[in-house]
Amino acid sequence: MATTAKPVVGKTKRPNIPAAGIQVPAVRTFEQVDDEILATLKPSPKWFIGLGIAIAAMLTGAAAWTYQIYWGLGNAGYVPPVMWGVYIITFVFWVGIGHAGTLISAILYLFRAGFRTTIYRASEAMTVFAVMTAGLFPIIHIGRPWKFFWLIPYPNWRLLYPQFKSPLLWDVFAISTYLTISTTFLYLGLIPDFAVMRDRETNPIRRRIFAMLSLGWKNTDREWRHFAKMYMFLAAFSTPLVLSVHSVVSFDFAMALTPGWHTTIFPPYFVGGAIFSGFAMVWTILIPIRKWWNLEHYVTLNHLDATAKVVLFTSIMVGSGYLSEFFIAWFSGVAPEQEYFWNRVFGQWWWAGWLLLLCNMIFPLSLFSQKLRRNPAWLWILSIIINIGMWYERFVIVVPSLSHEFEPWQWTHYAPSWIDMCFLVGSFGWFFMWFLLFIKQMPVIAIAEVKEIVPPRMKNDHGGHH
Amino acid sequence: MQGVLAVFPNLDEVCAAIRDLKAKKVPKVTVYSPTIQHEIDDAIDAPTSVVRVFTLIGATLGVTFGYWISIWSSQYWSLQVGGKAIASWIPYTIMGFEMFVMVGCLSTVAGMFINAKIPRLVTNFGFDPRFTHGDYGIWIETTPDKFAELESTLKAHGAVEVRGER
Repeated sequence: MATTAKPVVGKTKRPNIPAAGIQVPAVRTFEQVDDEILATLKPSPKWFIGLGIAIAAMLTGAAAWTYQIYWGLGNAGYVPPVMWGVYIITFVFWVGIGHAGTLISAILYLFRAGFRTTIYRASEAMTVFAVMTAGLFPIIHIGRPWKFFWLIPYPNWRLLYPQFKSPLLWDVFAISTYLTISTTFLYLGLIPDFAVMRDRETNPIRRRIFAMLSLGWKNTDREWRHFAKMYMFLAAFSTPLVLSVHSVVSFDFAMALTPGWHTTIFPPYFVGGAIFSGFAMVWTILIPIRKWWNLEHYVTLNHLDATAKVVLFTSIMVGSGYLSEFFIAWFSGVAPEQEYFWNRVFGQWWWAGWLLLLCNMIFPLSLFSQKLRRNPAWLWILSIIINIGMWYERFVIVVPSLSHEFEPWQWTHYAPSWIDMCFLVGSFGWFFMWFLLFIKQMPVIAIAEVKEIVPPRMKNDHGGHH
Repeated sequence: MQGVLAVFPNLDEVCAAIRDLKAKKVPKVTVYSPTIQHEIDDAIDAPTSVVRVFTLIGATLGVTFGYWISIWSSQYWSLQVGGKAIASWIPYTIMGFEMFVMVGCLSTVAGMFINAKIPRLVTNFGFDPRFTHGDYGIWIETTPDKFAELESTLKAHGAVEVRGER
């Protein structure tokens, strides 16, 4: 919803909204937008194959969880003192994936970045499903998932009350707020599109469902006026929220005295990494969608080019974070800290350390080439490389620190068990299952917002629109 | 509810019709458009949305609740550690901030629902499905004796269809 400010008043200019001629030149009428975007809702064989694979992967994770509940948390591959392993790594990974969605839908909205219009819906859905996936891991990690409600701070007589000074409780507040607001943001943006679907639908049952979901939306001037204001406030709230959530997640580590964790650079470095990995996941999802469902004139090479520049910027930001960590460890003169960083690149964990540097710092430098920024096949391959690198970034943060703390007699090794790997596979299955179900029930590109950048029909067109 | 409903294919024509109706001081006019349009905002010149008042109230209540729940529970179930404050406002700012965002957002949504008058149970009166597709519309709530006059005004501005609804 680009129209949140008053239009031209006196000498004040309109918001800087790029014209459709630049963004989506092949999209010419409102009717075309409805027809082409709603056409993507028809199931195809590729979609069924994808959904089948996702459900199989999800069931792998579900089976592992059943096994773990029956036999206990000892199957999770923990080796004291490495009592945080794949679960916390995957939790941080998925929370990070969610960040790009909010960045695209809220922060780029406030900055009037036109390239968000056709990619924000898929990114927002990705956020919701990524946070839903992340939220599973603390529950899995506690071993007795049915006790999860003990974390929620309400007065009770269990002689156990949540500690408000603990970063783990801050996570509960941050993640639950983030999930609530992301879901609200996604749903509210969908309301005008549900009204479009209601009025185009021929099946009476689906029509009734869309009528309920659209809340009786009629596209009146009154609705748009209040909707635009609300949307702007939600974006304004979501902007600091997205920055705060991964900062709070980084506090899980930074508040401890463990070598490699006790550093003030963690919040910005985590947020930068989250946006970096989230944008990579946007490519993983959107590049096949635009190809298979003929949406290349909506998500154009210009859009991919713009997102590639964000990825390049965040890669440099994350890379600077890595290098700063090494510098600070050397400059601090603290022996365990120096030990840890030496161990990370030349010792026990050298392979993981170099893998993340290669994936997150070296390969993304290819995006300095405009030719590669505009090559969807390369961007898709790079997205996989980046996400492998970002999962290993969290591995390198969690495992080498815990396996190499202050006491040499405690130094140990760690390897994920088959249960851990099943949970990892299951998390991807869970995420893609929801996403694939979403894109066949709801428009993956925001219909009402695309219409906003399409030139309206005029009888006497003297130009000047937007 | 009785009134006149007009369908316009072109944006400039619906804007001209809105301006004309305003000049003639016709009350209870509702405009439909498939998406937000600056031109319609200009023509209607409606007052700023009051949703922001809901935002302010909700955000204020939220931040107060976030600090209060942390401080109250720390006092009631105190964990006493030597040299440490029982209620420590710096970490409690996280709860304050998260509740500020959560309640602020939800009250903004409530403000939008109340002011936009949704959820709405009936959409088939004074409405046409073309308004969610590509056409614009004007609905004027009025009595049947004014139908003919309004129909001629709306048709003069390019309405492709004008119908009275009773």
